[in-house]
Amino acid sequence: MEHRVLLVREWDQQMSGSGCCGRLGGVNHELGEESTYAHNRSEMERMGEVYRALKAELFDEDVEFAVVDPRNAIWLVPNILRDAVRRGLPAREILRSVRDGVSQGAIIVDGRVLFSGRIPKPEEAVAAVRSELGVA
Amino acid sequence: MPAIVVALAVFVAFFLGYRYYSKYLAERVYALDKDFVTPAREFEDGVDYVPTNKHILFGHHFTSVAGAAPIVGPAIAVFWGWLPALLWVTLGTIFASGAHDFGSIVVSARHRAQNMGTLTQSIINPRSRTLFLVIIFFLLTLVNAVFSIVIGTLFINNPGAVIPSAAVIPIAIVLGQVFYRLRMGIVVPTTIALVLLYAMIPVGQAFPVTVDPIANALGTDPLVVWVLLIFTYIWFAARLPVWVLLQPRDYINSYQLFVALGVIFLGVAVGFNTIEAPAIRTDLPEGSPFWFPFLFITIACGAISGFHSLVSSGTTSKQLANETDARYIGYMGSLGEGSLALASILACTAGLGAAAVWQENYADFATASAGGVGYFVEGVSTFVGNLGIPAGIGAIFISVVIITFAGTSLDTSVRLQRYVIQEIGQIIRVRLLARNLTLAATLAVLISIGLTLFPGGEVGEFAFGRLWRLFGTTNQLTAGLALTVIALWVFMRGRNPLAPIVPLVFLLTMTTWALFIQLGEFWQDDRLLFVIDAIIFVLALWLIVEAIAAFNRVRRQRRGEQAPAEER
Repeated sequence: MEHRVLLVREWDQQMSGSGCCGRLGGVNHELGEESTYAHNRSEMERMGEVYRALKAELFDEDVEFAVVDPRNAIWLVPNILRDAVRRGLPAREILRSVRDGVSQGAIIVDGRVLFSGRIPKPEEAVAAVRSELGVA
Repeated sequence: MPAIVVALAVFVAFFLGYRYYSKYLAERVYALDKDFVTPAREFEDGVDYVPTNKHILFGHHFTSVAGAAPIVGPAIAVFWGWLPALLWVTLGTIFASGAHDFGSIVVSARHRAQNMGTLTQSIINPRSRTLFLVIIFFLLTLVNAVFSIVIGTLFINNPGAVIPSAAVIPIAIVLGQVFYRLRMGIVVPTTIALVLLYAMIPVGQAFPVTVDPIANALGTDPLVVWVLLIFTYIWFAARLPVWVLLQPRDYINSYQLFVALGVIFLGVAVGFNTIEAPAIRTDLPEGSPFWFPFLFITIACGAISGFHSLVSSGTTSKQLANETDARYIGYMGSLGEGSLALASILACTAGLGAAAVWQENYADFATASAGGVGYFVEGVSTFVGNLGIPAGIGAIFISVVIITFAGTSLDTSVRLQRYVIQEIGQIIRVRLLARNLTLAATLAVLISIGLTLFPGGEVGEFAFGRLWRLFGTTNQLTAGLALTVIALWVFMRGRNPLAPIVPLVFLLTMTTWALFIQLGEFWQDDRLLFVIDAIIFVLALWLIVEAIAAFNRVRRQRRGEQAPAEER
């Protein structure tokens, strides 16, 4: 793929470093866990709208889409760095990308952070990503 | 024997296991199909079902399955010498855990990403769903009991760890506000949080906290006081929304996991510490449990853990982009967990100094069980010392890592336990229990406190080694249930199911054998654990009956399908 778009948001029950002995795996609706992760669900669904809109609008472009949990820093940080360096962004902007990219609701296109901290509306995200990729 | 040589040998074995055995599983047993449309692709919605790059998904999966349990089991099990523990961790990881974790993802992906509870119902039979819930109930209760003792013991052994461990709570709460309310980035605040946390280590060292005065005033053991304090904290913590404390603490944990793994293996590589413990212990004290079968339930996580099947089937399978990725994600996740167990074995056999110290620490099984986690901390502080970090600081550092992992396990486990209790309330039609979350949480905590404090004869005698073995048996039974599901699915597809059946038969044999021996042991002096052991023993027999019946059913079905074909 020529381009990569990263959408950063938490998975509802993704646990880190200790989930092993205290998880049933996935949200168990019958056990009432749905309400426990209501805040995550709302973000997942909003980012899901963005994801679907981007995939629908850019289906004929050479773009890889990935949804990443911000706790997965071991993958996220090196790959934001790699994309940004490959694109030739200046050092200061690379650092800014890492700082803002590992964030709830971040949308990153080839190492450059377009949104961070808030999930945009789908049409807003599509327009910004199109513009960043130089697609009409 | 230099620890680094052992570590390298295990890593070579892991590499060969991945290179050859997982390939065999992928091609001949699970028959992965690169063209199979995974649930992530079939139901792709960007919310629950998202086709995900295998390297990203490995990060999600591994940080979900890694925890404190693969550290504790091996730290106790080296009591029988380092070689049996090392062999079980290595072979268990390659042949049992690899097949189990990898297979759980594949079977779930082939069944619309259903979780293991639902899979037991649909592949074995509806009764097995009840069996699954009962095993989970005991598993969660035992998790609460053993991890509260682990935390309390670490506080007593390393009073310097109390302040930094307590500091994690306000730090995580502030992080939660920063992430979820202020919507700021995560790298800088988490790094600051880690720096703040590690800055509290010398503070903790300068101001150690003990509960001895309270224990003396109450006329009880300090561990009793710690256990009660821990459960009081957990009762409050489990009532908070998850974003306030539990989830922000995950960020700290995910960073700590990699810091700790890096520091331990770097310390081993730099220090050239030699293993001073015997390879196989021949001078077992009288009355000690024999390694066969107890080794295989003492080390559950780290060799094979049933909990992984729950993680693999519930979340990971929904993100699987290609079926062939399951090999990398599931099998490599097992190898990562095995590496944690390896670190524990090395710390407790090469990090404690002279052989005489090891002999003293592992004088008998009760001492080994009670002190295992402490010896791991001591060993790691030696490895950390190889990097120029003072041993005292290193000991507090690794204690804090284990305590934050175990604390999160407890928090999550009590939350789940209260839901299970509510579910039971619905089944037995006790509306108050089914509807009142506070009552369910209180009951979950009280049951766990009871199981923590009462075994051993009197309140606070603590039977950690026994509780740990029971925890191991329930974890292995969960793995047995998952392996039954995997083996049946493989058999139904007309493939050779030996790869999941061999670890299944082995685990069920070791578990039931150990439970049977323990019945006699507990009957003598611990009626509470006798009852629990008896219930788990019945659950194990129930599982064996269900597994045999299910295999016979599938065999009859296959014969029925073959017969008309032959007649034609």
